[in-house]
Order: sequence, then structure tokens, then C-alpha cells
Amino acid sequence: MIEFNRYKLDNGLTVIHHLDTTTPMAVVNVLYDVGARDESEEKTGFAHLFEHLMFGGSVNIPDFDAPLQFAGGESNAFTSNDITNYYDTLPVQNIETALWLESDRMLSLAFTPKSLEVQRSVVIEEFKQRYLNQPYGDVWLELRPLAYKEHPYKWATIGKEIKHIEDAEMDDVKAFFKAHYHPGNAILCIAGNISFERTQELVAKWFGDIPESLKPDRMLPKEPEQKEYREKTIERAVPNDAFYYAFKMPERRSYEYYVADIISDALGREKSSRLYGRLKKELKLVTSINAYITGSLDEGLLVIDGKLSDGVTFEQVEEALWTTLDELNATQLSDSETAKLLIKIRTIKEFQEQGLLNRAMNLCNYELLGDANGVNEENLLYQSITAKQIQALGKSMLRRENCSVLRVKAIKA
Amino acid sequence: MIHRTKQPTVHPVQHIEFIKPLIFDVTEDVRLLWVKDVPNDTVRLDLYFDAGIIRSDKSISSIVHSLLFSGTVDKSSVEIHESIDALGGFLDTDLSFETAVVTVYCLREHLLHISLLVGEAINGLSFRESEVEDNLRSMGQKFNENNQKVKNVAQQQFRKLLFESHIDYSTIAEETDFKEGNYASMKHYFKDHYLNGLERITLVGNVEQDTVDALIDLFGKWAIDAKPTFGSNFSTTQKRHHFPVDGAVQTAIRMGKMLFSKQHPDYMGFQCLNTILGDYFGSRLMSNIREDKGYTYGIGSGMMELQNDGYLVIVTEVGKEVADATLTEIQFELKRLQEEEVSSEELELVKNYMLGQLLKSADGPYAMLDMYNSVDMYGLDLSFYDRAIAEIREMTPLRIRELAKQYLNWEDFLIVTAG
Repeated sequence: MIEFNRYKLDNGLTVIHHLDTTTPMAVVNVLYDVGARDESEEKTGFAHLFEHLMFGGSVNIPDFDAPLQFAGGESNAFTSNDITNYYDTLPVQNIETALWLESDRMLSLAFTPKSLEVQRSVVIEEFKQRYLNQPYGDVWLELRPLAYKEHPYKWATIGKEIKHIEDAEMDDVKAFFKAHYHPGNAILCIAGNISFERTQELVAKWFGDIPESLKPDRMLPKEPEQKEYREKTIERAVPNDAFYYAFKMPERRSYEYYVADIISDALGREKSSRLYGRLKKELKLVTSINAYITGSLDEGLLVIDGKLSDGVTFEQVEEALWTTLDELNATQLSDSETAKLLIKIRTIKEFQEQGLLNRAMNLCNYELLGDANGVNEENLLYQSITAKQIQALGKSMLRRENCSVLRVKAIKA
Repeated sequence: MIHRTKQPTVHPVQHIEFIKPLIFDVTEDVRLLWVKDVPNDTVRLDLYFDAGIIRSDKSISSIVHSLLFSGTVDKSSVEIHESIDALGGFLDTDLSFETAVVTVYCLREHLLHISLLVGEAINGLSFRESEVEDNLRSMGQKFNENNQKVKNVAQQQFRKLLFESHIDYSTIAEETDFKEGNYASMKHYFKDHYLNGLERITLVGNVEQDTVDALIDLFGKWAIDAKPTFGSNFSTTQKRHHFPVDGAVQTAIRMGKMLFSKQHPDYMGFQCLNTILGDYFGSRLMSNIREDKGYTYGIGSGMMELQNDGYLVIVTEVGKEVADATLTEIQFELKRLQEEEVSSEELELVKNYMLGQLLKSADGPYAMLDMYNSVDMYGLDLSFYDRAIAEIREMTPLRIRELAKQYLNWEDFLIVTAG
């Protein structure tokens, strides 16, 4: 059980306090309700580029990292299609430094041209390092637009193309900040050996006077229901043929989201999963195979990916894969298989609760979904899932008309 | 009125509490380290074997390592994994230069049962032909895939050249290693390095003493007979090598040199210097090459530990058109550390940062075990950290410059690039 206090400042900032008396460290986590899905199609990669700029100095503090390091701490952040999350870890006696820094960059940034220029290059190098300079690095740049036709999930957080990042201008940066970076669009979690009274006092001191702004209306285009089997093959200088099967799955706030997560585990999380046993161990068609979900807030994807053994064709895999999926849909999971999937979830949840940072992030994530206490209900929710529910969702989800397939054909460089 | 331009008062870390694990002798040379004080049901069990990469050629060490749960006469790999999954257990394996580790994560009520299954799987490993072939296929593909990654090529070649004086440390994997299974070598290796190669057991978890005794009984029979020996007196004569990789848009740089072991009197001092150079976000290399020039997504330096020695490595991937410019900047930063004393502000920041990180790495039972293990593995004890804290506090700009002069000469570095 993760205990917490929660309240809202007048300016709209949601604050969560989590007391842990056993650790000398503290965590300050700030989740902004903005991700790549909030970008316009002509200026993609912006939420992520912006995350970099948040370390380039704020209105009253020229450098973000140095004061935090001086206080014995460190910081990082990540951007997804849905959110941008910043976190600071430091000795609890210096927690005020983190609040000073986070509040100042919520107030306003320095917006120096140098910072924009340098971070543009850094992000372009990140684009190359992660997406272009390694085999199979660009598959998500191809798979997203195949699976999504309207919804902004059709581009990756890094952006559709390098040019969008190269073209980013200071005016864009300022407009983005104004729209998305203000108290009403943020959730702040303070975790560690610090009392609720002290937390309220410090939060009021540093965040209380940040002006309120209107939370932007999110009017994302709804993804039309997929009605056809989508297939695309690309040729790349990679060592082996690879495949990616992406099925649309229920949105994060629905009960079925958890059921879909269990289905992906049943199919390909562990070495005792169905696809691994059938396609790799029994038929030896693949050298690796995995199933996982994207975890998106809006309608997400359940993905099955893998690499072909030498001499095996895409058609052989196609047939074996659908046979396995059809079996899952045709017959309910046995009690022992369901139990196996659920006990693994329980173990994972127990380990996740170990870390202070994990707890702080999860509280913010669930608060964004509607209630921070969801973090305490998650395991029970999973444990309540039945074989019948798994079969029902499987039937509606694991269908050709709900599937987009990307195949990567290996060619000589 | 609050002062947003002024940093709130900072209180440096004064005290770090280190807790020694409970220690049990499995044999004269093999011990079990146990941290019992865990506030929930989680357990981690690690088995350390004298089966690191250096113990074989032709990738036998990594092939056998990957086959540990591939099946016995009675049970297939799928059945083994099924039985462990049914108890909610997770298996993890790690292979480094000098050790191989098998890790179990689970809830405490299942530890003993899962341990029995792990014991059974490893004891009875039968090298089933279909499993061996399946593994070789996967490893062969992975090898080819890695060979297209500039960072991997640079890393492998760096290792080969840095350790040229010791063949067991410098031998790197080749494609032919995965073509067909050499069953005799695998079985021989497995017997020597696993069934008779257990070096240590570590355990974090709130379990009963009976369970610990049972683990000692169960795994103790794999205990190694004599203390293993490791390479020492490494030397490098190589200087600069480039390895072309078709179609690469970035160049990977690995440069470094041999230093010394964790017991060396300069170890902690150099750790301070290394932090300033490249081991935190505000380091000289990051500030210059990422935050000022924008040449890279990341650059860092690190001290790598071996049983009897150690080395420094600088790691980055940069746009291929700025690879030379990056090397020039690295050279500039090394020279600057040798010629100019660091400012007291920068040193103060690094001291506070290092102490904060040390506090963090001693936080909680899992971290504490790792902390103890990482000195105990090298024949040191917790007093290492007390000395470390004192040395960090007493570090001076003059001493940093002296260490830089002694250890950061550009001419002494091996530089490997791939791209």
C-alpha cells in the first residue's frame, strides 16, 4: 500500500505527498500533461525537443543541473506520445533546491538562442543514434503511420523526420511553453522523509505565485475503426528478415486495457509463452519473438515482433502465428495458465514498489488517469481478470481486420 | 518575498550508514552474503560462477551461459521455464569478463521451490541438440546484427587491442563460433566452470534461517575447489585504429588506457578526477561536446574494474562528420585538466555530487548488498567507503591536476573508432 496526501493549489497545480521515513533520499517528480500527440503534424518531435530545452536554464537560474548536482542530486526526464515527465533525486535535506529549480522552470524559461541551437543538434544526433544508425532502428517510424491514419500516434516522439527538428524556431518554443507548461497542466509529487506540513509550506513558497493559465483543450482526431488487414514490406540492409504485427487495443483508462496486457504476456512475454513455445522452440521458424503493449493513453497497440530463422519465409510465420492466435481465441486459457500470468504480475508489482522514484512516478501517472490511488488498486484489478474475459477480448482484438503488419526484408547493403 | 535567483541553503551529506550483510561460509573459499532486512516480500538470489568471458575461446563461455536453462534429460527448456513462471519467478543471467551470474527474482514464499528448480535445471543440463541449435541460430543472428552497430564494433575492437597482452582477455567473438555446436567443449566447460565453479552466493530477502541453510546445501556442491586466478600486468602498445562500418551515419569512439585495481592508493582520487572529466551530466566532456558543440547525444568516461587491474574508457557516438573534431575536443579537455587547476566551485560541486550519489547507492537493502559486494569481490571491506568519503572531502585542485598529469597523457591512450 502506497500512502499519500493530495491537494491542489489555487493556481491549479496538483500536489501529491508520499512519506517514506526509511530513506535518506527524496524524489521530486513533475509530470506535464503534454506529449507528442499534442504536436501539429507539420511540427513533430517538438514535445521531446522541448524536454531538452527545459534543462537549458530558466528565467532566474542560468543552469538547471549544476545547482542540483551541488546539492548532491541528479535529474532526468523522458517524453512519450502522451506525457513529459521530469524527475530529481537528491538527499532529502536539500529538497528545497529541487523545488526552487522545478518551480522556476515552470514559471518561465530563459529561451536563449544558444540553447535552442545546441539542443537541436543534440536531438538530431539522438535521432541518428537511436533510429537511423542501427539495424531495425527505423521500424517504429514506419509502423506508426501504418497502424494510425488520423490519430497523432502516427508519429514517433522523436518526430516524423529530422527536418522538423531542424526547422524549430524560437517562436514555436515560446508558444509551446505558454500552452503546456503551467501549474494547471502539471502534477507534482514529493516523496521521501519529509512531513506533509513541511511539504505544503515549501510548495506554497515556491509554486504558490506561479500564475494560473487555462488548461488547453485537447481535441485530437479520433482514429477511425480499422476495417482491413494492412501489410507493408520495406527493404533494409539488416542481417535478417523481421516482422511486426500491431493490433489496436483498448485505451488506458478501460478495464480491457489490463486484459490486453495479460494477453500480450500469454502470447510472448516469457520463455513459457505461447508464441515462443510454438514458433521458436517447436517449429524453429524464428530466432526471437516477443509480445508487448505500447501502454498508450488513447487506443494503443499490442505488438508481436520477431526475427526469422535463415531460410524461413514470411508466409510460414504468417500461418503459424495466426494458428496460435486463433487457438487462443478458440479455447479459454486453463486455470493454471491464467494463474501463472497473474502471479508474475504480482511479483512485478511488488518489485516496482521497492523504489521511491517508481512510487512517485506511478502516483503521478495514476493521478493523470484520474486518481493517484489507482496505483494501490492496480494489482487487484489484474488479479480479478478471468479466462473468459481474456477470450472475449482476444476474439475482438486478435483479428486480421484489426492488424497492421510491417515486414523488414533483409537486403545486401 | 522569495529570492528566485538564490539557491536555498545546501547541506552536504554528513554521514552514510553502511550495513554489513550476514556472512556464511559455504566452503573455505565460497561465501553467502545475506541482507535480511527487507520491508516487503521481494527476494533476490544471485549465484556467481567462475565462468566469465575470459574462461574460454570460441565463445564457449557465452554459449554455455545461454544454455543453462535449456533442458535436462527429463525436462525441456519450455517445461523448466513454465515451472518457474508458475511460481512467479524471474530468471536473469549476466556475463562479464571475469564472472557469470544467475539471478532469481521472486516472492519470498517461493524462493526455496524456485531454487530447487534452478538447481535441478543446472545440475541436469543435458545439451539437447535441438536446444543447442536453436540457441546457436539466435546467437549467430545477434552477432551479425551487433556487427552492424558502430558502438558494438568499437567496443569489441577496443577490448581486443587494449588487452593485447593477455589472449584470454583479448579474444573476441567471431561468426564461426556459432556455426555448429562443439558439444565436447561445452560439456567440459560446463563441468569445470559451473558444476565446480560457484564463487559466491548473495541473497536479499526477509526469509528464515532454515531457507538460507537449505540454499547452502543445495548450491554448495557447486563450490569451486580453489581460488581462481585472474590476469594481471596488462600492457597496451596499440594507439589508433579505425574500423569501417558500411552505411553508418555516426562514428563510435572508444578510447582508454589501463589504470590500476580498486586497491590502488590513487583509486578514489582518480574517481574524483574521472567524475570531473566525464562521469556526470555536468562533466567537462558533456559540457563541451554535447552542451556547447552539440556533437553527440551523450559522452562519458568510466573506470572499469578487473580483479587485479582496471582501466579508463571514454565512450561516445558522434555525427561522422565531427568525429575528428570530437577527438580534438577530448584532447583539449584532458590537457586542460593537466594544465589548469579546477576552480574551488567546480570541485565543491563534484564533491557534493559524489557524496549524494554514494548516499543514494547505499539506500535500501538491495543497494546495500550491491555496495558491500562491490568491495568484497575485490578483497576490500566497508572501511573502503569510510576512506572514500574522507578522501572525497579532502580532495584539492592541486591533487586533481597532479593525477591528471600522471594518468591523462594523450599519448598513452588507445583510440578506436568505428563508422
